[in-house]
Amino acid sequence: MTDRRTEMPIVRPDDDLPRRTGLSRRSFIRLGVFSGIAVTLSRVVPAQAIEVDSTKPAGDWMGPDGRPRYRWDAISKVTGDKVFARDFRARDLAGWPQTQAHAFFVKATRADRVFEDIDLSALGPDLQPDRVVLHEDLANDRITVPQKVMGHGFYGYDFLTPKGQTPRMLGHPVALLVYSDFDRFVAAKRTLAFRTDTVRYGEDTGPKPPANYGVDRWVRVGSDDPFAEPLFSGLKDGPIRGGFDGNTPVWPPTLTEPLEPPTQRLRDRSVPLERPPRSADEQQRHEEAGMGYAADIAAEIDAAKSAAGKLVLERSGFSQSIDPSAMEPDNGNAWYDAETRTLHILAATQSPYGVAQAAAEMVKDCAFPVDTIDLLTGTTVGYGSKDYSIFPLYTVMAAFYGDGLPVRLANNRYEQFQMGMKRHSFDIDITLVADRESGHFEILKGSYACNGGGRANLSVAVSHEAIRGAQSMYYFPKSDLTAVALASPAVEAGSMRGFGALQAQTILELMVDEAAEALDIDAIELRRRNALAEGYANTQGGPQGGAMRNVDMLDRAAAHPLWRDRAARKAAYEAANPGQRYGVGYAQVNKVYGAGGDVSALALEFEPDGRLVLRHCCQEIGTGATTAQQVMIWQAIGKAPDAVTFGITDFPELPLTTDGSAADGVKNPFWTPSYLPDMSSSASVYYLGFATRQVGRFLFEHTLWPAARSIWSRGVGGGGISPLWVTLADLRITEDGVAGGGMRPIPFDELAAEAHRLGLITGVAMHTYSLWQWATAEFDVPTVGPVTIPADALSVRYGNGASDALKARMTTGGYDFIKRSSVTYPPNGRGNGDPMTNAASGCLVAVSVTEGTGAVEVVGLHSLLDAGRPIVPELVSGQQQGGLAMGLGHALMEELPLYEDGPGDGTWNFNRYKLPRAADVAVWAQTSEYLPPLADTDPPKGIAEAVMVPVIAATGNAIAHATGQRFYELPFTSDKIAKALP
Amino acid sequence: MSESLPLSLTINGRAVGPVDVPLGMPMIDFLHEHLNLTGTRFGCGQGICHACTVVIEAADGTTSESRTCIFDAHYFNGKSIVTIEGQAPRDADGNVIELTPVQKAFIDNFAFQCGYCTPGFVTGATVFMDSLKRKPVRRADLEQAIEDALNVHLCRCTGYVRYYEAIRDLALATPGYVID
Ligand code: FES
Ligand code: FES
Repeated sequence: MTDRRTEMPIVRPDDDLPRRTGLSRRSFIRLGVFSGIAVTLSRVVPAQAIEVDSTKPAGDWMGPDGRPRYRWDAISKVTGDKVFARDFRARDLAGWPQTQAHAFFVKATRADRVFEDIDLSALGPDLQPDRVVLHEDLANDRITVPQKVMGHGFYGYDFLTPKGQTPRMLGHPVALLVYSDFDRFVAAKRTLAFRTDTVRYGEDTGPKPPANYGVDRWVRVGSDDPFAEPLFSGLKDGPIRGGFDGNTPVWPPTLTEPLEPPTQRLRDRSVPLERPPRSADEQQRHEEAGMGYAADIAAEIDAAKSAAGKLVLERSGFSQSIDPSAMEPDNGNAWYDAETRTLHILAATQSPYGVAQAAAEMVKDCAFPVDTIDLLTGTTVGYGSKDYSIFPLYTVMAAFYGDGLPVRLANNRYEQFQMGMKRHSFDIDITLVADRESGHFEILKGSYACNGGGRANLSVAVSHEAIRGAQSMYYFPKSDLTAVALASPAVEAGSMRGFGALQAQTILELMVDEAAEALDIDAIELRRRNALAEGYANTQGGPQGGAMRNVDMLDRAAAHPLWRDRAARKAAYEAANPGQRYGVGYAQVNKVYGAGGDVSALALEFEPDGRLVLRHCCQEIGTGATTAQQVMIWQAIGKAPDAVTFGITDFPELPLTTDGSAADGVKNPFWTPSYLPDMSSSASVYYLGFATRQVGRFLFEHTLWPAARSIWSRGVGGGGISPLWVTLADLRITEDGVAGGGMRPIPFDELAAEAHRLGLITGVAMHTYSLWQWATAEFDVPTVGPVTIPADALSVRYGNGASDALKARMTTGGYDFIKRSSVTYPPNGRGNGDPMTNAASGCLVAVSVTEGTGAVEVVGLHSLLDAGRPIVPELVSGQQQGGLAMGLGHALMEELPLYEDGPGDGTWNFNRYKLPRAADVAVWAQTSEYLPPLADTDPPKGIAEAVMVPVIAATGNAIAHATGQRFYELPFTSDKIAKALP
Repeated sequence: MSESLPLSLTINGRAVGPVDVPLGMPMIDFLHEHLNLTGTRFGCGQGICHACTVVIEAADGTTSESRTCIFDAHYFNGKSIVTIEGQAPRDADGNVIELTPVQKAFIDNFAFQCGYCTPGFVTGATVFMDSLKRKPVRRADLEQAIEDALNVHLCRCTGYVRYYEAIRDLALATPGYVID
């Protein structure tokens, strides 16, 4: 290779090095008007999006067979382009000033004493900030934490702790220091790092966290028949609301005033549609009835304890707090342009729509007039932790104190540990009742208490998700499950992969292994006898969607040499390795994908020359979701888009509103229960991709098929198609175009030209909604006739050859918005029976435990997954491997103390917090298998979360096999094991 | 505030400086804030994650990998380094002309997800491949050699498998790098 650098210009430090920022190509998108402020979202159109399409070899990302050669964003990521929000400074952003300010927080490392003031004398005269911001400044300027958009207390109450108040949690910011130049900023930050005398404290008050966040209970009383109508269930009767006496739950009838959770349950989504109002009396009767059934279950457990034929296993477990450790720490940049009364925000977020709404509420009545908010987002990564995080709102807050300059906030790793969102720790108590003879599980009773730290955020939703995942992969005739979300002075916990279900399922999977031993039944056989299957009711009473494949998976695991030969392997390994104990463990779970209330929207259109343009709500968070959406388009119509924009949060051709109720929705064709998704809940491939596949199918049926028929009919006597019998069902997408029924394949470009000539539909925009059931609607489409499709909004564009009358209808963002003639939304309260779409995932782990030290080495790892029909198998396997590593981290090494000496003290970094490295995850030895799809129409399922869960309990079960000791307190560290070993 | 001293070095084949840089400023801040080279990623600032590494080219043509978060910019005075932006050759407009073998191996194997750690892995793998060129590894030792060279690099997304496979396959496919 020639010297690759000879052609590059000399660079001076003041110059911008030649590079592609792509910012000139950003597009402004109207997000809507919130609180009277117009909000636009400008996606940082990733430079790679365009370069990949225009630069060789980058343009070759997809092969002719519709299989990607590499991720469509691969080139920019592998060559160091600016991609992440963190990579951009003001000078990179079109229209922003060339220089900018930088800021950092002073934070409280005590949450038991009153905050009095800050002392910046350590900075000396040179490093004093250009601006110090305290709570009192914010109060003067009426900049307050939004309380409406996500509900009271969701984002906490104060950005900065007021003087005279005890910080609600460790690591809470008390002041913001702003610098107009980087060099002084960085020197000052270095000077104050780790100092404990910057914050002055007063009176000792003890901890003052907010009130506890939520307590709810789901009771189901069914029978051995998993299809039978239960006497009582969440789906039928709703949950029972509790209250607190201290941290102890209190229930009706003792409780008279149930706790209204302070958070709007947006992510909970069990109530996205209005529930029919119950009278207070009805509600009380219903909840008292539920408590009666709970008492019956308790009595049955008591009776079982003395019954010879029953096994009653009661265990308490603990799942620790961990740090998501997304490699891109939280960051943001914001500029208040007083002249144009515009607030510009660059945010690293998984929920841009949520940031825009919250920012609008924040600035609505503040002292700085804002007419427009312009929000930019970059590619990001958070594993959930950048979903509805407060960090972007801190960025907004800071924007007003830059003295006209943009202000950048970028956590270093210590700061990220100190204030970044954590995975909830859980205290879990479970009682499992099984019949000794049949091995059938009869009762699951559990209490799942998460510690949300000092800000509510999504804690209530996480506690509910623990309940919904609690049954793992089993059918329980009766269950009584309590979800508790506690407040504490710990660092805030929020959305993070696993989302409660990980914690609940891990403890149950450890117990099932112990139960198998107690029942003297093989652990996989015991699972087989209790496995959930298609249509079975879950513990909330909801049906399980699709073939569950649990037994298929168990059969495969049982046949795997790691399991089949485990006794012989143990003997051989221990003989060959004195001082080591070998063990194999298995666990299998069903993990939800989607969250209920899942939405998606996109617009896909093409020109007469076949140029295909996609705009999609999906945003890239590292998983490859944006690659997969484009592959789905190829699979539907035989061509990948030529130009794409992702992360779109407004579709002018779909002018929908969420104001009103389902009842209005039947009358108002613009109403939808929910407009746009966040990037979470493993929803992208099935739920976001659902709309993609529907748009593809619509075009296939109503455009490609008539266009192909027209081409094949050319000539005398009805053309080449006339002697044959070709129907829509015969059509196939091939490498050479649309073919089938014996006809010549026609490339997409030729079909596109014909579709335009004929004035067929040449663009489709669609919005879909599911609450564990797809909304469907009928649309009378001019060129097609009435169609009923699983979408609640549809717009189309007609080709150049369309009549003037048709073209005159294209007035909604250039599209013809087809008002639905009827719509069916999922019934109210269906969310109370969730989750109904699950992926099965299992894991075999082999460990070697060192006697004396208790050190655990993973020596074998086999992962099983039902991914449905994967769209991009390489992306699935990458997600799977990543999930395994993250699960092993949770199982073996990652742990944060909640309070003293925890991350809130600002001293944590990767030296103390061990993340799995390649050597920890059997990188060369791990294997995996996928259940082959049952039919070629099987949809893809969500993925990484599912794989991350069973590896944790499988590791615990392997340690039990190796050592004979059972551990219910995570992580399974060498200390704990060494102590327990005889 | 600390004193500034002039700094000169070679970055991606180009002379940079002399320019005044405060003593104590980490190299990564100099790259990001003074040169707008943000492809070198900040992960921990503590020398643990190796997201921030760059290639140092010695006068004898050998290469090594260096973290930029724990070393002062002045530590690099007089040195020649390659950041991720300088790995693949680019045209005058900054467009990539051709990927390096390591970059190509990574994208072909779908090695990364979010890609935040990718510049560090490209750097580490490039230096590793360079070391094989000078000192081939025995086939039986290849996997361990990769692990020894790359285990310091943290990745939270991928579980490492596809990165490691890509490097192994590239080493095996490069004549003379792996011997029996
Ligand atoms: S950022 Fe330099 S080693 Fe982590
Ligand atoms: S790909 Fe995301 S950290 Fe490595």
